Amino acid sequence: MAFTRKRPQRRAAILLLLAAAAVLVSGCTDFDVRTAFPPDAATTQGQATRNLYDIVFLIGIAVFVLVEGLILFAVLRYRRRKGDDELPPQIHGNNKLEIIWTAIPIAIVLALFVLSWQTLNTIDARKQDPPVRIGVVAYQWQWQFVYAPPDVRWEDCGAPQNKGTCVTVIGLPPPGGDRTNWTPPQMHVPVGETVELQMHSNDVIHSFYVPAFLYQRDITPRKDQVIQFLADHEGTYRGQCTQFCGLLHQAMEFEVVVESRDAFNGWLQTALTPPPAPTPAPSASTQPGASQQPGASQQPGATVQLTLTASGIAFDTDSLEVPADTPFQIVFANNDAGIPHNVAIHKDSPTGELVWSGDIFNGVETRTYDVPALPAGIYGFVCVVHPNMTGTLTAK
Amino acid sequence: MATTALRPAIAQRSRLYDWLTTTDHKKIGILYFFNSLLLFLVGGTLALAVRTELAQPGLQVMNESTYNQMFTMHASVMIFWVVIPFLAGFGNYLTPLMIGAPDMAFPRINALSFWLLPLSALIAILGFPLGGAAANGWTSYSPLAQEKYASGLGTDLWIIALLLVGTSSILGAINFLVTIFKMRAPGMTLFRMPIFVWTILVTSVLVLMGTPVLTAALMMLYIDRNFGGAFFNTALEGGNAILWQNVFWFYSHPAVYIMILPAMGIVSEVIPTFSRKPLFGYKAFVFATAAIGALGFSVWAHHMFTTGSVYLPFFSLMTFLIAVPTGVKMFNWVATMFKGKLSITTSMAFAIGFLAMFLIGGINGAFLASVPVDYHVHATYWIVAHIHYVLFGGSVMGVFAGIYYWFPKMFGRMLDETLGKIHFIGIFIGMNLTFFPMHLLGTDGMTRRIADYSATAGWNDLNMVATIGGFTIAVAMLPFLWNVFSSLRSGHPAGDNPWEGSTLEWATTSPPPAWNFDRLPPIRSERPVFDQRQAATIAAAAAAAATRAVAAAATTAVAETAQATAGH
Repeated sequence: MAFTRKRPQRRAAILLLLAAAAVLVSGCTDFDVRTAFPPDAATTQGQATRNLYDIVFLIGIAVFVLVEGLILFAVLRYRRRKGDDELPPQIHGNNKLEIIWTAIPIAIVLALFVLSWQTLNTIDARKQDPPVRIGVVAYQWQWQFVYAPPDVRWEDCGAPQNKGTCVTVIGLPPPGGDRTNWTPPQMHVPVGETVELQMHSNDVIHSFYVPAFLYQRDITPRKDQVIQFLADHEGTYRGQCTQFCGLLHQAMEFEVVVESRDAFNGWLQTALTPPPAPTPAPSASTQPGASQQPGASQQPGATVQLTLTASGIAFDTDSLEVPADTPFQIVFANNDAGIPHNVAIHKDSPTGELVWSGDIFNGVETRTYDVPALPAGIYGFVCVVHPNMTGTLTAK
Repeated sequence: MATTALRPAIAQRSRLYDWLTTTDHKKIGILYFFNSLLLFLVGGTLALAVRTELAQPGLQVMNESTYNQMFTMHASVMIFWVVIPFLAGFGNYLTPLMIGAPDMAFPRINALSFWLLPLSALIAILGFPLGGAAANGWTSYSPLAQEKYASGLGTDLWIIALLLVGTSSILGAINFLVTIFKMRAPGMTLFRMPIFVWTILVTSVLVLMGTPVLTAALMMLYIDRNFGGAFFNTALEGGNAILWQNVFWFYSHPAVYIMILPAMGIVSEVIPTFSRKPLFGYKAFVFATAAIGALGFSVWAHHMFTTGSVYLPFFSLMTFLIAVPTGVKMFNWVATMFKGKLSITTSMAFAIGFLAMFLIGGINGAFLASVPVDYHVHATYWIVAHIHYVLFGGSVMGVFAGIYYWFPKMFGRMLDETLGKIHFIGIFIGMNLTFFPMHLLGTDGMTRRIADYSATAGWNDLNMVATIGGFTIAVAMLPFLWNVFSSLRSGHPAGDNPWEGSTLEWATTSPPPAWNFDRLPPIRSERPVFDQRQAATIAAAAAAAATRAVAAAATTAVAETAQATAGH
């Protein structure tokens, strides 16, 4: 600041600090400085917002330079000298000036308001019958993207008569909060077509945000939201929940893949085809057709049966007991409507080595898992979607 | 009442007992000061914990659960137990002195409003050892804050603590209003009150209108959590999550003005004194303060633009408009410095720092008034930058300006200026290192309240800079704490009016006697002490002028006589 520039030793101190900062910056050769501008817009709506942002930014910079300049000038110019005891002119005010610096800001903010309103109407414009509709379910702490055929409501994808017609992408938070070997779930959309998202939350408030779309919308329980966008640049864009939603809020990342219509159709087709062999663990974030898969491994003849219920994002028990070296079944009731759960068994504790993992499916539904024989010992069980749903399983 | 003629023997009480039972507004003000300072260190420590975790991607020092408690309690402590009480403390100490009153209107209620603060802070912090403090964010949005998702005791303790803080605020506001309206000294008309008292007046009105709404909302949340209510609990028929946001922000947006108006008042006392000029546009300033107070109640839903449940044009327009009275104040402060004779004391440095930093908080706030831009930066680090440029760059800078300015009055000793300047430079650099990079992170899409972020998003370096800035602020606090400690013991004696202040508090001793004033100067303008000081000068000048006139007249007379004589 200007008032620190007066004395030489302070100027030296500031130069020293600036030099230190420069060294710090140059020390990391690829120092990541983001700009004060949003990312390049990937949607037409985002571009409209970006144009508005640039105007607001310019006006902001102008005001900043003007007022900081006036402050700096006053501080540098009007200083009391040592021994100067004479009073400066005692000016009490000036009505003309007051009117000027009331009227000009009013004009500026009114202009900004009108511009903002126009842009708002552009980005909120709705198209009848958009070619792509996607159901978005936000839950603690991940996302589901549901693609239904035109004649099926995405909410009805779980119904028996719609088996095999929908594609559901189920996101899982990074295991143990470790992102190293984790990929966020992907929402695929075709480029150049209007996409409608029908968004729903059953637990707490979440918010759908894609920075490259320059757009976010809260998803409140009992208040489903519908938004539309038209992505005009192919690419993969990061998205995240912006409304703090509890323990693993930070893990609610996802990606939007904007691709050509052909690539999109291809992806949809692959996702609709059930995978040849059941996967032992849902390590991949995408579980195409998860809702029609049978239990993870077939063990005919298993006679030991346990029951386990998930409701209110919690298991009904935190300890289970099974005979060692015998296959068994878990009758797992997911009573949380629209919320995915499963059961996974880990060695020693819920965060230990994965031994077995059952399908993830939405409530309300009950499924029977066939679990292979386990050697005697202590195991932890956990819902992969909700790492805070845990318990101990003892085999003896 | 004949019996009162006999005075009871004054019992010798310990100094501790004296401080615990005092109803003297000055001692209560000092209690506010030290309580807020202590909790500032607590809130700052929580902030450092947050910044330490965010320095690098990955979870290094704490898990998500701890992190969520840290940022929730950081915001709660700083807002409810640091900024608001710090400013209320200044109000407590200064309001009676500035209007020439012997004390607040209700001294015992005044003591009660103070003692509710350490009690409530203790209750909220007690959550940490009792199974985890509140972790829903300071906004405590429902249904996240419902029993189902936040089952711990921490949230209930947080609600109870906030109810007590609210009670303290409401009692304090009534006390301020009655004091200001009923206890002004003869001659102290409303338009002769110092601007600081005006800001306390408007703030008290805001508290009185807003806080009961928050109190009601907190009670409803408590009922939801503990007695199966369905106010905000969407799991039950009739529960409405948006309703909580409406009632919460109906208080919490005006709360931002509760946290900034008195700081503006402080700056409006400091800048004229050290510019040796009256405040430019006193009445414009009063009207701007009232306008901010009035508009402040019509902008709450700008926190909810992204909910899809708000009539956007109205709240957008109101939010834009509230920038106007704030801008008027900014221009008036700058005009006060123009053609003045500025002494850059530490207090003045912090006041100018307030102008420079609060301006940024105002400009980046205008972005949020524009709904489409808000759709992009809402709930990102842009908001974190904005709130900190307003509350740290604004309120905290204002508080420091006030401490350096009135410490001599409160304790009769000066704070050390060299340590003060070091403190200022450290705070100034530290806050910009911490909060400026957050703008860039925010526009790039880094969302707030996340314990971890992707290592490949390109945010690593800016987060590291912000963390370095946070520790710079912490280090810069050390010379300040030492300054307070050592100056209390051995600071240079202050005298009644070390800064040539113009308002009434400078007309009494430092520290003032229990009854505040032995005699008051005549109050004929908003600067009674200035008038008194000038009266002597003016009288001397008038006397000198009169002498000169007499002498001149005599000379002329002699010359005329000489001429007449010569003419003869």
